[in-house]
Amino acid sequence: MSAISNDPITLEIIQNSLQAAADEMFAAMKKTAMSSIIYEVLDMGTGIMDAKGELASSGAGIPAFIGVLDKAVKVIIAKFDQPGDIEPGDVFATNDPYYGGVTHLNDIVVAMPVFAGGRIIAWTANIAHNSDVGGMAPGSLTGEATEIFQEGLRLPAIKIISKGEPIKPVMEIIKVNSRMPDVLEGDVWAAIASVRVGDRRLRELAEKYGVATFENDMVAFMDYGEEASLKALSGLPKGTFDLSEEQDDGRIFNVKITIADDEFTVDLRDNPDQADNPVNTSRDGVMVAAQMIFKSLTDPYSPANGGSFRPINLLTREGSVFHAKEPAPIGFYYEIELRVYDIMWRCLAPHMPDRLAAGHFASVCGTFIGGIHPDTGRQYTIIEPQLGGWGASRVRDGNSAMFCGFHGETFNCPAEINEARNGLYVDRMELNMEPGGEGKHTGGRGIVMDYRIRTDNGFLTVGYTRSKFPAWGVDGGADGSPNYVEFRPKDGEPETFAFISGKVTHVDDVIRVVTGNGGGQGDPKERDRDAVRDDIKNGLITKERAEKVYGPA
Amino acid sequence: MAGKTIRVATDVGGTFTDLVCFETDPDNGRSTVVTAKSDTTPPDFERGVLNVLEKGGVDPATVDFLAHGTTVVINALTERKGGTVGLITTQGFRDTLEIARGNRPDFFNLHYQKPKPFVPRYLRRELPGRMSYRGEEMAPLDLSPLADILDDFRSEGVEAIAICFLHSYANPSHEQATLARVRELWPEASVVSSHQITREWREYERTNTAVLSAYVQPTAERYLRRLNDGLKAKGFTGSPYIMQSNCGVDSLESVARIPITMVESGPASGFWGAAELGRLIGEPNVLALDIGGTTAKCSLIENGQVRIMTDYWIERDRTSAGYPIMVPVVDLVEIGNGGGSIAWVDDFGKLHVGPQSAGALPGPAAYGKGGTEATTTDANLWLGRINRDYFCGGEIDADMAAAETAIKNVGEKLGVDADEAARGIIRIANNNMVNALKLVSLNRGFDPRDFVLVAFGGGGAMHAMALAAELGVKKVVVPAGAPVFSAWGMMMSDLRRDYFVTRLVDLQKGSEATIEQTFADTEAVARQQFGDEGVEPERVKFVRFGKFRYQNQEHTTEVLLDGAVTAENLAKIEADFHDTYEREYTYRLDAPVEMVGIHLIASAEIGKLTMSEEPRGEADPAPALKGKRAVDYALEGIHEADIYDGTKLKPGMVLNGPAIVEDPGMTVVLHPGNRAELDGYGNIHIDMAN
Repeated sequence: MSAISNDPITLEIIQNSLQAAADEMFAAMKKTAMSSIIYEVLDMGTGIMDAKGELASSGAGIPAFIGVLDKAVKVIIAKFDQPGDIEPGDVFATNDPYYGGVTHLNDIVVAMPVFAGGRIIAWTANIAHNSDVGGMAPGSLTGEATEIFQEGLRLPAIKIISKGEPIKPVMEIIKVNSRMPDVLEGDVWAAIASVRVGDRRLRELAEKYGVATFENDMVAFMDYGEEASLKALSGLPKGTFDLSEEQDDGRIFNVKITIADDEFTVDLRDNPDQADNPVNTSRDGVMVAAQMIFKSLTDPYSPANGGSFRPINLLTREGSVFHAKEPAPIGFYYEIELRVYDIMWRCLAPHMPDRLAAGHFASVCGTFIGGIHPDTGRQYTIIEPQLGGWGASRVRDGNSAMFCGFHGETFNCPAEINEARNGLYVDRMELNMEPGGEGKHTGGRGIVMDYRIRTDNGFLTVGYTRSKFPAWGVDGGADGSPNYVEFRPKDGEPETFAFISGKVTHVDDVIRVVTGNGGGQGDPKERDRDAVRDDIKNGLITKERAEKVYGPA
Repeated sequence: MAGKTIRVATDVGGTFTDLVCFETDPDNGRSTVVTAKSDTTPPDFERGVLNVLEKGGVDPATVDFLAHGTTVVINALTERKGGTVGLITTQGFRDTLEIARGNRPDFFNLHYQKPKPFVPRYLRRELPGRMSYRGEEMAPLDLSPLADILDDFRSEGVEAIAICFLHSYANPSHEQATLARVRELWPEASVVSSHQITREWREYERTNTAVLSAYVQPTAERYLRRLNDGLKAKGFTGSPYIMQSNCGVDSLESVARIPITMVESGPASGFWGAAELGRLIGEPNVLALDIGGTTAKCSLIENGQVRIMTDYWIERDRTSAGYPIMVPVVDLVEIGNGGGSIAWVDDFGKLHVGPQSAGALPGPAAYGKGGTEATTTDANLWLGRINRDYFCGGEIDADMAAAETAIKNVGEKLGVDADEAARGIIRIANNNMVNALKLVSLNRGFDPRDFVLVAFGGGGAMHAMALAAELGVKKVVVPAGAPVFSAWGMMMSDLRRDYFVTRLVDLQKGSEATIEQTFADTEAVARQQFGDEGVEPERVKFVRFGKFRYQNQEHTTEVLLDGAVTAENLAKIEADFHDTYEREYTYRLDAPVEMVGIHLIASAEIGKLTMSEEPRGEADPAPALKGKRAVDYALEGIHEADIYDGTKLKPGMVLNGPAIVEDPGMTVVLHPGNRAELDGYGNIHIDMAN
């Protein structure tokens, strides 16, 4: 069967099947991974690219990983451009933002070409956060890094499996560079299993419907994606919108967004030079942030593909914080990506209040705790993003205790599993009762969580933003509350911080994570009286404070 | 009547209450079957059950075995018609229920609404006391605040209390103490603690399970009590068995304590029926497909075993995180694709079918009850697959004008004529179902070509052959009585309980004693529970599974364990794990293996139906032939098909496609090349090979 079928039903069937394949890849990886950041937190993504590396379909996971895989595959294709460079059964990997890796070295992208009819018809790929890829600090992430070389092993878009057989020396190099070699090996194999599942499914599809039809239909979906985006774009207010905002570290970030009938331009050129600590991102990274906000504004309900993002025009300046040059460190790239995402949101919110609520806690609040498990004697490493409060909209209160906009189908770690696996205690995990986010509609609540350490000489690394400037309110609603860690040592005074690297921990030290409440919307005096009574009844606010903030009952 | 054994299954659905009654003559094993249907009668559901018994002419006094399935629990949950619940939990964790897991499946949607907890914050209260994950007491339980908490609950109108403490899966003593004290202080309240339902870890899931169980408990207790009283008043002398989500039945008393286990009792009985049918006809590997009015459900049965899991969620989909219920539920995939599913065209000219359904009212356009949207059933009518002159067994005059208008509307949006639109609807619906079947087979490392497709429910036989062809399945079986197959499954069920216990052990020399002890302890609990219900210990059968993984992994692979766990067979257990793992995930690791817990199935037969086989007669189906008509097979074109009267088919008859079998409750669509033969039980075996 070589003729191209233009039958719309076949088209629909192939598209559904691509979606199903991406979901299947996701499930396989989740079930086989060894890092809790992958199997529990689901800090990973899966996707299917066409032969040129354009994103055709994406699986569940986190929105910030949707637009990563295509960029990685394109770099692999460009690098392996000679006949025989790419063969059936090959599997490739990259983790380096200067080689298509987009994010940071912990995130390994694994990609596999799909062959049918003697040629490459597609790529299956995934990305996941690995617990330790070497570098100067356990967990590989540290605020102390001044060059990417200190952040772990770099895989510059390389082949790891040749014609179905693992390239042993390469696998050994990857393994030996990790402080958690067995875990890294297990996770890389989980990723390989996942791309193989996708490969098998796509070959079946191409065989059934014909290679030409399969390829033709992939192009058609992306055209549909573009059509959907353009249609939605036409409904957005037109013009140029500008916002500058001071960050916790004193830098001023600026964004200018120009919305036209067929183009969504994000101009980030007027921003500081890249830093010599790991608070930079690659240009690809901010592109992902732009894609996320664009997709949410235009067509949030249908699956994203390369076509959906075509109307985006991104302007950056090489050498700036948003377009870092090798060898700038990029470990905390995700906070920078989030800052861009958040200022774009804030920039547009006043102009489209029905689409955009008040600000949320807007930080991954990445928390890295490690040490020796007192019961097993084995090393453990916790890598956890935290839950926080979301902003209120014109129609309702914000959600409490959700992952930030960067994450999506991401799950927190149950206390019971944390205690068993990591050998520490979780003394409490509750909603944050600090003031903040009051309004006609209130911001959702952040959380307060106490980790109590059970062995000496462990470490703590965190990098939270929105700690000095909390989530922003709208229409007269109050700002939210800050993200921070209160470290309560067994001996000595508590200290509060948002960024720290490799702090040594001891038995009975308590690491209290506090995440912010979201921004409020509207004048608190206009809050519905029943809602205020419920707030008091539920212990979210005292009666006295409620009278002060919301007015007499 | 004397000497006959009478078995009855009643099934309370959202719209109708169904009855199937088998009267078996012990002399020759022959059974006569009576079916009846009456309206479901909320909120006094037991009335519908008594009505349907009367309508079917069944005298409860003569019934030997009565099994009962119900959607009361799932309906109470989805319609939010349960009781007011108060939660008692560990200090520092009252917000667990609201924090949940923080996930946002609909991740580009910035207006996502987090599912609201079933217990508001002011009814979530804490007690001091703490266990470790190893079950050691770290801080003693302090019950002194309990009396005040219960006073508050009373004044707030709480009807049921859920108790869930951290690590109670490892040591339930704090929960037990609290439970006992609550019963003492407030004997009238319904109360349940998490360890009574599950012994697995993950505090949000376990807390929510306890809460939802408490939520449905007052409703379910009342329902079960009235059912029991109603049956007794009509002279029924036995005790009814209640269908469970794990494919077994359980005693009414036991279910009344933990009613949440009924949550998926409807689908479970059908899948159990498919497993039993497989045993009867010598096909242990079955893909079971149940197509009803609004959904299609499927499940995979390997080697006669249904797969039971505890990772079950309600209201979870691409747009909502849903709510977990950690009880043993048959592993099933359900999609919004049934006979009443609506076909629609999106803004970009793409055709979709479901998940919206036209339901019973207005129903498909062809019902002529005001439905204007084309459904799968309308497309099947339009293409001649369903007989327009024998619609719903002749009970409804098909409104073909309405069907035509509805289908043409779809066609116009697609730029095609009605025929092409109807074919498209069937193909999309079939594709949705194929993807669901792949999720339970290929997705889990099973090749559908190694399985027989058993298709039931009102719509199963209409689509099964097309799905089988797509999946490469070689044989389809449409069971006798396919439209009421779930009720049959209920009568084939054993008294069954699934025990899941979390117990982390490295799989290495010396661990056999711990593993064997875990099984032995759990088996003792099971024997005790069965014994309390008058089942002698020797009648209880056990099947053991271990849940294994590579060290550092989280998710486990279940492996069947044969016999006692000894030092000698540890190596075989480990090898079985590696094999099972590699089949599912394409690789194996040279890494240490851990056992995370056990899954024990305890069951006892309680006098289930024995089927008798009739001799096969003539192969010639001419006596059942009604005529011929043109049938559109979508991709295979239009063919002149033989039309058979399903009620006149006899064992041994052979039918060749293209053909249609018309039965009052269903239509069997045989494609060109299909060869069908009736076995001695009246099941239709369709050979896909030619």
